This record gives sequence, C-alpha cells and structure tokens, in this order.
Amino acid sequence: MSKKEVRLFIGPQHPGVTGNMSVEVLLKGDTITWAKTHIGYLHRGFEKLMERRIYIKSFPLVCRICVPEPDTNEENFARALEELGGIDIPERAKWIRTLVLELSRLQMFIMWYGGIAGSMGLSTPVQWGIGDRDYILDLFEELTGGRIYHIYIMPGGVRKDLPEGFEERVLKVMDMIERRLPEYDEIIMENAVVQKRLKGLARIPKEWVDEMGLTGPVARACGFPYDVRKDHPYEAYPYLDFDVITEEGCDAWAMLLVRRREIDLSINLIRQIIDRMPGGEFQVPLPNVLYWRIPPGETYVKSEATRGEFGYYVVSDGSDKPRRVHVNGPSFVHGITLLERLLVGQNIADVAPIMVSLQTCPPEMER
Amino acid sequence: MEILERLRERFEVLEEKVQRDDLIFVGTTGKNLIPMLVYLKEYEGFKTLVMISCVDWIEEGKFQLSYNLWAPKQKKNIIVKVFIDRKQPNFTTIYRIWPQAEVYEREIHEMFGVNFEGNPTQGEELILEDWDDIPPMRRDFDTLKYSMEKFGERAPKSRINIRREISEQYDEWRRK
Repeated sequence: MSKKEVRLFIGPQHPGVTGNMSVEVLLKGDTITWAKTHIGYLHRGFEKLMERRIYIKSFPLVCRICVPEPDTNEENFARALEELGGIDIPERAKWIRTLVLELSRLQMFIMWYGGIAGSMGLSTPVQWGIGDRDYILDLFEELTGGRIYHIYIMPGGVRKDLPEGFEERVLKVMDMIERRLPEYDEIIMENAVVQKRLKGLARIPKEWVDEMGLTGPVARACGFPYDVRKDHPYEAYPYLDFDVITEEGCDAWAMLLVRRREIDLSINLIRQIIDRMPGGEFQVPLPNVLYWRIPPGETYVKSEATRGEFGYYVVSDGSDKPRRVHVNGPSFVHGITLLERLLVGQNIADVAPIMVSLQTCPPEMER
Repeated sequence: MEILERLRERFEVLEEKVQRDDLIFVGTTGKNLIPMLVYLKEYEGFKTLVMISCVDWIEEGKFQLSYNLWAPKQKKNIIVKVFIDRKQPNFTTIYRIWPQAEVYEREIHEMFGVNFEGNPTQGEELILEDWDDIPPMRRDFDTLKYSMEKFGERAPKSRINIRREISEQYDEWRRK
C-alpha cells in the first residue's frame, strides 16, 4: 500500500440485499486497486451443530443457512437422507415440493429485483419488492405456519397436505404479481440511470465460468446454459416444460435480464405445477425418527437456488447422527473468489450493484 | 462405467462406488491425487471444481479429503477421495489447477487444521477471529466445554432465569 492509496472497509452493514459481509478495498482516487472479502459475521456453526443432533432435529437448523430462501436447504437435506436411507417418496410430495421451491425462488427474485434498484439509489422498487414478496409469504404462512422459515419439507414427503382452495389462491397471487411486473419494468428496466450504470459493469471473462465453477444466473448471463433443474432433474422438474434462460453480455445488465426472465419462468412453472398436481399420498411413513439410523454411505445432492447451484454433501457412518454435512452454497465462489477479482479496476460507487448482481448470501458461506 | 476403467488403467484406485448415474466416488492415494485431478480436468471433461470437503474419522486416525468435480458436457459429478494421517495432516494445495480451491483450503485449514503446502493465504482468518483452541470442526472439540470455559455460566439473574424461577415456584405451588 503506497501513500497514495486509501484503505476502506465496505460493510458489514450491507448495501442492499447482500447480507452481512464486508469488503476491504484499496482505493486510488475512486478506483479500486485491491479487494478482499471478509466473512464471519454470521457464523453460527451449523455444520458442527448438526453433527451432535439426530437427523430430524437438524431440520429446524438447515433452513436458517440461507435466510431469504430456506426451502432449498430443507429439500436438499431431505433428498440426501432419502437417498442414503433408501426411501421413495410419493409423486404428490414431489410436486408439492417443487411448488414450494418455485414459490421460494419467485419471492427471492422479486425481492432481488427491487434490491438491485435499491443498490443504485432508487428506493421505490425496494419497497415494492418487499411488499409484493409478502403476498407469497402469506401463502407460505397458510401452507406451513411460518413466513420465513418453513420446516415444511421432511424426509418421506412434506409435513402437511395443501389446504383446501390453496391452488386458487396461488393462481390469484400469480395473476396479481404478473399485473405488477410491467410497473417494475418501467421504473427499473427503462430507467436511463440503471441502463447506463449496469451495461458493461462487472464484465466476467467467459473462461472464468468453468475455471471457477460459476453457476446460476451469473453463468447463464455469460451464455452458458447451466441449470441444475435441467442438468440434474430432481423432484418434479423432469416433467415440466421449460427452457434454460441464457443471455449474452456477461455483465450486470445481462444478469438483470436473466433474473427478470426467471421471474416469468417461475410464474409459468407454478401454473404448470398447479395444473398438473397429482392426487394421492403426500408422505410415506418413516421409521421412528428418534431412533432413525442411516446406513453408512455418502452422497452429494444439489438443486438450483436463485443464486446458483446449492449442494449438500452428507456422510453417514451408520449412527443416528450425521458424520459430516457440508453445505456448499454458490456464494462461496461468487462472493469470495469472483468478487475479489471483479472489483479490481471498478469505481467505488459500483461496489453495491456488483455485490447485489452476484447475489451474495453470507450465511451460506460460513455455515 | 467406462471412466472407472480408464482411471484404473492409469492410477491406483483404492475404492470405487457408483452412487447414482451422475455421481461416482473414487478413492485414491495422496501421491496419485493431483495427477488424477489434472487428468480428469484435461482429458475427461471434469472442468469445474465444485467443492473440497474434509471428514474427520477420529476412530481410525484419518482425515478424508473429498474433491468434488463437475463435467458440464457429460453432466456428471465425480468425487475423488483421499485419506491422510490425522496426526500429521499435511497435504498439497491444488489452487494452481483451480483458483477457488484456495478459499476451500483456507477454510479446511481453519476448521480442521489440515496443512496445505503452497497455499498462499493459508493461516489468514476466514471465519473465526482470534481462535485459541484446537480447530473447531474436529470431532474431539467439545463446543459446550469450550463455551463454559470461555464465557462461564449464564448470568445468574438474567430475565430468562427470573422467569424460569417464577415458573418453578408456580409449579411447586400447584403441586401443593
């Protein structure tokens, strides 16, 4: 560090919907010459705690690994245990799980859509995003009893069946959100400030995608059709009809376009799911969960979160507690390896839009 | 699976298991690990490192390192496992093959105490701050004991304890 440079901490108070992490930067004038991510503000030791708990007691823990989008965790962990324990779940449970996952993706995308505008100083869409997300949280409350943490997806299926008339209420909310989206587009997409600032911002070299293991909207914005829902179809996704969304451009604007189109896709998928929801049982009986021993083995399951590929590596040693659970969130690579490299050469004012574009989620980096 | 045959021809394969159509486990020795990873990356299409994980097998005195790779074209995962001695947990870094390995290795060094020779940022704090005990993800680290020694008992007259006392008194009164 020479005398012409200033060392500055951005965070851990977060600029938008990025969560509590901080970026240490060296500044030369307005330009960043060096950046380093610091995490650890949210460390609660989930992986360690899970090693001391029987399997079923870990479910209230795993949903807390990513606050805005908890269902991916529950679904992944449940699917890993089912695979190791040799449990087949009924069709209806798969479809209900997919519905919950898509609703969860949709609410996260809506909140993010407002959040990206908030990171550039447009405060109106943020409030809209939080507000419209609440209609989906109401649905979750009706379905699961909880607004943020649902603890709804369990090994063997889901905890409860859909309430009566739930499907119509979901469709009503989808119609409402679809009516609202043009207003968002008008205030965000057609805004000259947003276009000017995001186009060309945080341009990712294409060779980084495979080399660093970038996934999700970040990879799809670079033209790589990487989507776990297609690459490794799980739950009811193999039966659904959709295409992977890709954009060219590799910059923050392309990421915004991908996520905007993902909102439409999620609404479309939810309508398909409701349309084709099969009847039947919604769970299979488990062995007594308090004495449930899973045979020795290990597996890696993954699913598509809004931020990218979310994976669970579960190792069982034959006892009633897991030997090791490793949660691998996409933010681990996006928020540390990629962000540190992307920030170099950028303007200090663009740190917030870049962090929000990569959609970092610190709790999943420091489980 | 054909890929397992090709691996068996070239390297020492200690164990293998096909978990799913798109997930294979392969165990190898420490000497063979880096040649095998480079081979998988350059010739078999496993271009991406998804994660590095560490498992503590304290009863056998071993650490298991799992290198999870992903082939975007074939749409397959392969997990390469290697066991190292728990008393002298030294291994080699692979950050020159994949840059993100540096952070995973830094985390494993912090949480398990595995030493990755050649890692440039090893020893820097990632998650923990001023840690003064054995690495916390090891199986012999007792979380409850550490917190009792470090932070002591819970304050005697906190609001929760008062509430608990009241409810205990109420229970006693009801029993009478």
